[in-house]
Parts: sequence; structure tokens; C-alpha cells
Amino acid sequence: MPVLSRADTSTLGRWWWTVDRWTLVAIATLIGFGYVMMLAASPAVAERIGQSRSLFILKQVGFLAIAGAITIGVSLLSPRGIRRLAMAGCAIALVLTAATLVAGVEIKGARRWIALPGLSLQPSEFLKPCFAVVSAWLIAEGRRSHRFHGMAIAIGIFLLVALLLKSQPDIGMLAVITAVFFTQLFVGGLNLALVVLALGGSAGAGAGAYVLFPHVRSRVERFLDHAAGDSYQVTRALEAFGNGGLLGRGPGEGHVKDVLPDAHADFVVAVAGEEFGMIVCLLLLGVFGFIVLRGLLRLLAESDPFVVLAASGLVASFGLQAFVNMASTLHLIPTKGMTLPFISYGGSSVMAVALGMGMLLALTRRRHHGDVP
Amino acid sequence: MSAPPPKGPPGGAPEDRPPPAAPPPGAPAPRFGAPHDASVPRMETVRVTAPDLARRAALEKTRSRLVITAFCFALLFLAIAGKLALATIITPLTPHLPALASRPSEVPPAEPASDQQPLAPPAPPGHEQRAMITDRNGEILAISLPTAGLYADPREMIDPSDSAHKLKLALPRLDEAAVRERLSSEKQFVYLARQITPREQLAINQLGIPGVYFQPTARRRYPQGRAAAQVLGGVDVDGHGIAGVERFFDQRLREDPEPLRLSLDLRIQQVVHEELTRAIEDFNGIGGCGLVMDVRTGEVLAMVSLPDYDANEAGQATQEQRFNRAVTGMYEPGSTFKLQTVSMALDSGAVNIWNGFDASHPISIGRFTISDFEGKKRFLYVPEIIAYSSNIGAAHMAVAAGTDRQREWMAKMGMLSRIGIELPEVGSPLAPPASNWKEIATMTIAFGHGIAVSPLHVVVGTAAVANGGVRFRPTILAAEPDAKPREGTRVMQQTTSDTVRKLMRLVVTDGFGKNAEVPGYYVGGKTGTAEKSTRHGYNHNSRVDAFTSVFPMNAPRYAVYLMVDEPKANASSHGYATAGWVVAPSVGKVIARIGPMLGLLPDTEHAEEIHQALYIPLQPGKPAGSHPAPVAAAVARPDLTHPGSPPTGHLPAWPPQQEAAPRPSQPHDAAQPHDPRHEAQTAMPVAALADR
Repeated sequence: MPVLSRADTSTLGRWWWTVDRWTLVAIATLIGFGYVMMLAASPAVAERIGQSRSLFILKQVGFLAIAGAITIGVSLLSPRGIRRLAMAGCAIALVLTAATLVAGVEIKGARRWIALPGLSLQPSEFLKPCFAVVSAWLIAEGRRSHRFHGMAIAIGIFLLVALLLKSQPDIGMLAVITAVFFTQLFVGGLNLALVVLALGGSAGAGAGAYVLFPHVRSRVERFLDHAAGDSYQVTRALEAFGNGGLLGRGPGEGHVKDVLPDAHADFVVAVAGEEFGMIVCLLLLGVFGFIVLRGLLRLLAESDPFVVLAASGLVASFGLQAFVNMASTLHLIPTKGMTLPFISYGGSSVMAVALGMGMLLALTRRRHHGDVP
Repeated sequence: MSAPPPKGPPGGAPEDRPPPAAPPPGAPAPRFGAPHDASVPRMETVRVTAPDLARRAALEKTRSRLVITAFCFALLFLAIAGKLALATIITPLTPHLPALASRPSEVPPAEPASDQQPLAPPAPPGHEQRAMITDRNGEILAISLPTAGLYADPREMIDPSDSAHKLKLALPRLDEAAVRERLSSEKQFVYLARQITPREQLAINQLGIPGVYFQPTARRRYPQGRAAAQVLGGVDVDGHGIAGVERFFDQRLREDPEPLRLSLDLRIQQVVHEELTRAIEDFNGIGGCGLVMDVRTGEVLAMVSLPDYDANEAGQATQEQRFNRAVTGMYEPGSTFKLQTVSMALDSGAVNIWNGFDASHPISIGRFTISDFEGKKRFLYVPEIIAYSSNIGAAHMAVAAGTDRQREWMAKMGMLSRIGIELPEVGSPLAPPASNWKEIATMTIAFGHGIAVSPLHVVVGTAAVANGGVRFRPTILAAEPDAKPREGTRVMQQTTSDTVRKLMRLVVTDGFGKNAEVPGYYVGGKTGTAEKSTRHGYNHNSRVDAFTSVFPMNAPRYAVYLMVDEPKANASSHGYATAGWVVAPSVGKVIARIGPMLGLLPDTEHAEEIHQALYIPLQPGKPAGSHPAPVAAAVARPDLTHPGSPPTGHLPAWPPQQEAAPRPSQPHDAAQPHDPRHEAQTAMPVAALADR
């Protein structure tokens, strides 16, 4: 990247000197690692998908390039632009999510996807970052003006989202969006009594999901029953980690990708663990942790409530997604299909993550006082 | 809480703390870079609006909450790091994928260790070894040897045709063109060869071809080759039993590594095999079958069916070779069944041993004629009927006992149901249904026609009438050394069995079975020559010759049965192709050879006593003081009225067995003279039944 002068007042120049370059580097690192993992897993995956390996690679190169472009492009926007983008995105995603119930493609008993030429889209993925920004704005605005019942509207939208996701059903996504919304409320200064109540409520909701949804129950039961060895996939994943050890078997020397259908997507960490070992996995985990902790702690210097709430929501969404993916691969929590941001193969999910990270970067750009968001 | 000092809210309100005292109150405060007259008066106090204060408090709270959130995320990520360390280096889960185990680095050393136990080869990792099958003495009949299957991943192939060429050099049985084609395919897994020996495995490994792998498998070997091939059956390429014992005990063999001990005795199996082979060759038979059974337990010591095949080459065996005549083949038993008829008649009390029947004329019933082979054409006593194998006499005897009684007897002896040995191939006997079991059927079944049972049925029946009257379900498994004796079902009185034993001995001493005699073993038995039935009736020139026997008759231990299918007469049999000439000599040879193996030495020292004990005259007299025979005078005549009867005065004392348990029952045939015309429509084709 050419060195930009501090005096450069072009859009790009201003962006370069105000954007959080450390986070940008961390995201670039993730995308780079995503390329490496795709090269490692591609032979087995190309075999499975029935495509040639080069086409597969080309596709993922395209996806990741688009993701990088989205991240940077969105981060060029002003907070106001972000707000508008999020509102539009949230509206479209809500409509599309509702449409999945009618016109969705049913895969494994759930209607979560909309088939588009070339890829199938999961609208709720895009709902996640957009709703985080919209709810942040509603909460902040409602606090600023007493006439505007922002909080009520935010809760209303949340309940609508929850209803849609429950109908799909996509309990995992619902849990993540709920956790993100709760994080925002918590950061926004929710009364501690209410925090305790909400935690209790979520525990109750979890128990409710366990009772109401058979697939949730079977997941949890398989997770708890150690003798049953959980699912085939998790056992294979753990074997892959064991096979990898400290330093790994070496690039391309892993076998888990041959036996796991989701090796390139939800279980990509297992491939990484087998081929590159614990140290590289810890480094990868460190990059995720760096993005999340830096994103949260940088907000301490931020005084605009909308920016704080939106950014904390985006960071929480990103961090939770990474956590759920790695934790379920490592048998820390019941299996929940969720991609690892920027690392897993896939179209729509990486776009959604890129959108969220672009929004985060845009919101956390250094601003002069008086830059009204 | 280490939040940095809060910045002022937008609008530029100064810090909320007392201003420095230096400037006097009310003095203008010039702003940097602004004209002096633009100075504003200094404020003494700063007013902070209530909403502003609230906003600041909220911001403080938000910052503390952000730190808490960050802390929570740090905990979550640390948990992942901890679990990652556990999963990778602290308690790694050992992979046991088959694909991993077969990779070259994991393959056990190709050279077999010299200190291996020959009887217990080590199982390949992750591969349960199928249990051995042994005979009763522990000789191995079937064993699984660890071998490897050769497969390849064509996508890892660098040069398929070069690899195929090299593999052909190391493994000459490969078809190079086929291998080249497989290696050039787009698949991920292609089989190249099964059953690779360790030596071949080493040679292939030394080629160093990438993408070629071994899969640990087991190969089922039958070290005894042809011995009991049909009994053992076989396994498919995946090691699942598909026939014989391998199939019947498939689950047991897979789950329990202990050897499965059969009741077969390999030595006896070989003897029976040899003698039967010789008999078939001598008389140009198309096949045959041999059985040896322990009459006191039902254990089968030998089961031979010819033609047979090498169990290791089961794939090449014909249907005919795989057919187990001993249990699957259903044959009309012929005269061997007269032992059943006489046992039934005597045990029921309908006939006494001193009774007899008129065999001077063939029986004409409907369109059938029952005649005798080389018949005496006179009145015959019961012992004579057995010794000379009179069909006419046997038919009369069965009619005297009655149709219902015969049917009950056959059911009791298991002749109407599957034999119950532990082999999947057991067949179902062919017998007339109860509704069609009329008098004509009774007559023909009396001499073993109109019913078809397996040779094992005949052996089990023979054992039961000879061993004291207890029927044992036959078994192919050896009894455990400490197991309690098997329990049979009593099917007849001990005294009846004692009499029938003497009759069986009489067949060998005075009847058609003389060629089976072995000095010192006191063989007893019964010949059976049945003409084979075809669609158009019986074929006079194709027969099934059988001899069923038990030895030693004074204390029965083993039943020996041989059968030759479609023998042709030769010089040694003086032109006869009947059981007495074809099979009986072979039975004698078998007994002479296996007796010592079974721990029975020929007892010639007590020959006279044993002979006396087993003696029964051909024409026994009625014991003095006995009740008159309850048999209808229409068919049986007291011996005294018969002109050819020997004087009864100096007959050896004949134990009046029937007197011990006199039966009040009256055979129904006695009261109802039979009109044969009503039986003309019987389904059993018994045209010209000439059984010898």
C-alpha cells in the first residue's frame, strides 16, 4: 500500500489515517489464513462438491476478495452512512428472512436459505450486523429524546426477528442475535436487576428450546453423554486435533478433511489443528481475540452512545460467531453449525461478516469532536 | 476501572472543577488566535445541565460494562485455548480411522515375528479375528489368517502405467491392463488385489509407489482341504459366513474369539471319506454320503458328502459338490426303515417277535404290487422279515400296527420334521400329509418308500432303536468336557430296543448284511436299496444303496451309515448292485478302522458269550406260558401251525419281553378287514416296489 501523506485529504487519505489499522491488519491476516486453509482443504472438498479443484479455488479467491472489498468499502462510510446502510440492510434482510418461510429452500428440516443463481443466501446472516447497528441507533436515539421510544421499537424489532428465526427454525442464530442484543443492552447500562433477570430468562429460554425442539434436545443430549461420543463429526474433529499435536502433520497431510463433510466449512479449525498444530491454532485464536478485545477496549475512548453500542454489538457478534464455531469443533459446547469468520469456505456468510467488520471499522474511525455521527 | 479521564461532551464545556485562582473574576478571557475585543468574560462557575450529568454517568457505566464484556470474551477465548491444548497435546484422542490405520506408516512390520504362537496369530489392529473352528480333538478345520488388501488412491498416482508395470512385477497375478485402467480413474479408492501375503506386501512397499495402500483383512483358510467341506461351509470376501457351520454360528464366530469345537473327529472323517470314495469308485456311483454318530449323545463324528470340494476353493465348487447329502438330500430310505417298522410293531404290542406273516404272495393293492426281492415265498417270522428284508412282511406288520400308530411313531422319531442339527442347510422330509396317509402309504412306508428323509434322519432313528430307546437330537458341536450328559427323549421301551438290537445283529450274521461283519465288533445293521423315483415312477436301474449300522451291538456306542448313489454292479459284487454288496463291505471296513481310534478294541475273547446274548433265532418259538398274540389271525399265524417251523422245545430261552408289559390294546385292523380297492387313488407311486 502506498504511503499516504498525513496531509492527504482525499477520501482514501483521510480513511487511512483515521481507520483502526491494527484491526485492519488482523482482518487481512484472517483472510490470508483463509486462503491457506482453502488450499489445504480444497482437494477433498472439490472431490465432495464435484467441482474441479481450480474452480473451487477460484471461487473462494473471489469470495474472499469480495469480502475484503466489502470490508474496506463499507469502512469508508461515515457513521451516518453506516446507519442508513444498516437500516436499509435490516429492512431487506427482515423481508428476505420472512420470505424464507414461504419460498425458502428446505435443507435438513429447516428453511433458512434463499436460492439465488450461483449461491444460496442465508438472509439472517446479514440481519445480524444490520440489526446490531439499527438497535444501537434506536437505543441511543431513544435515550437522547424522550419523545422517541427507541427502546420499545428496538425490542419490538427484536421480537419480530426472534419470531422469524424460531419459525425457520434457527435456534443457534436466534441465540447469537439475542446474545448480541443483550450485550448491547448491557453495555448501554441496563439495570443490574434486569441483567440478572435476562440471564435467568435466557437460561429459561434455553431450557424451553431443549423441551420444545427435538433437534436441540438431541444435540444437547449427545453433547452431555460422553459415552455416546457425541456426533461422528465432533469425534473425528477431536481425533484430528490429537493427530495434529503441537506442530501438526504438515500442510496437506491431514485426513480429517477426507472424512468430514463439513471440513471446509464448520469444521475448518479441525483441519487447521491437524495440519498446522496447536501453535498455529492458538495464533489464529489470538487474532480473533485481538480483534474482539481491541474493538471493545477502544470504545472506552468513544463518547458517542450510538457508536459505542453499535460497535460493541458488531464486535460481540463477530466474537460470538468465532467462539461458537471453535467451541463446538472442540466439543466445548453442543454442536452448532456456524462458520468461522473469514476462514470457512462459503459465500454469503463471509459477505455478512465482511459487512459487519466494515461497519465496525467505519464506526471506530478516529473522528474530530463535532463529527456528528 | 481504569477508564481514561472522560472527555468533555460535544459543545466544548470546560472541565467541571474549580478554575485556577490567578485570573481575577470578571476579567476578560482572551481566546487564542482571536482578536482581543472578542474576549468573553470569564465564568466563575460552570453550569452543567442535568441531562449532561446523566449522560456522563451513563457513559461511565457504559465504559465499565465494556470492560466487563471484554473480560467475558477473554474468558471465552481462554476456554477455547485451554480446550485446544487439551485436545492436541495434553489428552489427544488417538485416531482410529481405518484410512489412517492403513497408511504405510501405520502398517505393522511386514516380516512375521518368529516367536508368534502358530495357533493364535495376532489380530490386525482394529480388526477382530474370526474364531477358529476345530474338530473335537482341537485339530484346526478353519482359521483366519491376517492378510492385506491392496488398494490405491488414483489421485495420488504420478504415473499410472509405470505404477501398473511395477506392481505387475511385484505381484504377477495382477492384470496389468486392468490395473492401469483402475489407476487412471478419477476415483479416490480402487481395489487392486485381495489376500496379499506379507512377502508380497514387503515387495510392493519396496517399490515406493505413492498412493498405494494396504488394508488389513483376514483370509479364511481350511487347512484340511476337503474334509467336511460342506459342514464347514464358507465365508464371503467380507468374512461373513455364507454356508454350513460358518453361517450357522456366524455371530458366535465373530464375537467370541474362543475356538468353536465341533463334534467331528477328523481321523474318522478321513476314514469315512476314503472308504466311501473307494465304494463309489468301485461301483461307479454318482455320489454318496457317510455318517458316524455317537448313539449315546447324538454327536456327529463324521459327516461326508461326495462329491465334495476343497473348502479353500469354494468359489470353483459346483452346486452338486456343495450339496450336503447328509442333511439336505432327501432320499427314500428303503429297507433301512424296516427297523422303524419292526420297532413300532413290537413296542406297540401289536406284533410279537414269534409272530409271522404270509409272504408267499405279492400284495396287490390298487394298481400297485408289493413284492420281495429274492423272496422266500412262504410264511416268514418277524426275525426273518428283517433278516431277508421282506417288503411283504414289513407291509403286513405295519398294517397290523395301524396307520395312526405308524404316523405317531414317525413323528416321535422326528421323521416328519427337520432334523435339528446346527446346519443352515437342513432340509425338510417329504411325507404324505395326514389326510393322505392311507393304508397304501402305511404299507410302503413300512419298507421305506413313499417317504423321503435325509440320511441323518435314518442314522438318528437307527441310533434310537439301538441305544435302549432314547432319541437324541443330533449335534455338530462337541460336548464341553465338564458338561452334564445330553438328554434325549425316550421313544420306546428298553426291552423293545434290546430285541431290535438282536434283529440288527441277525441281519449281519444271517441276513443281507453279512459283508459288514467285523470280528470282535458285533456289528448290527440294516441294508436298504431303494430305487430312485422319477417323474414316471421308479427306475429299476438307478438305486440308492445304504447300510445303517451300530456297533458294538452288545453295548452300542456308534452308528455308522454309508450310502452310495446310483451304484452299478461289478464283478466283485457278482452282478449285484444292492446294498448288501455295495455298501455293507465298506461299512465293515470303516468300523474295523475307526473302532481302535474310538478306543474300542475288538473283543474276541468273549465272542461266545456275546454271541449268545445277542442271539435270536430266525424262527423263534412262542415262550411257554405266554398269552396268545393279540394280533389278528388274518395276518399272523402261531408258529406251531406253520409246517416249516422248527420244534420249539429246544429253542434257547427267549425272554418273554412282551409279557412284561402286556398291552390291552387291540389293533383296529384286526376288527376291520381292509378293502384295498378304496386305496387305489393313493398319491404315493409305489409301482413295482422291489426292495431288497
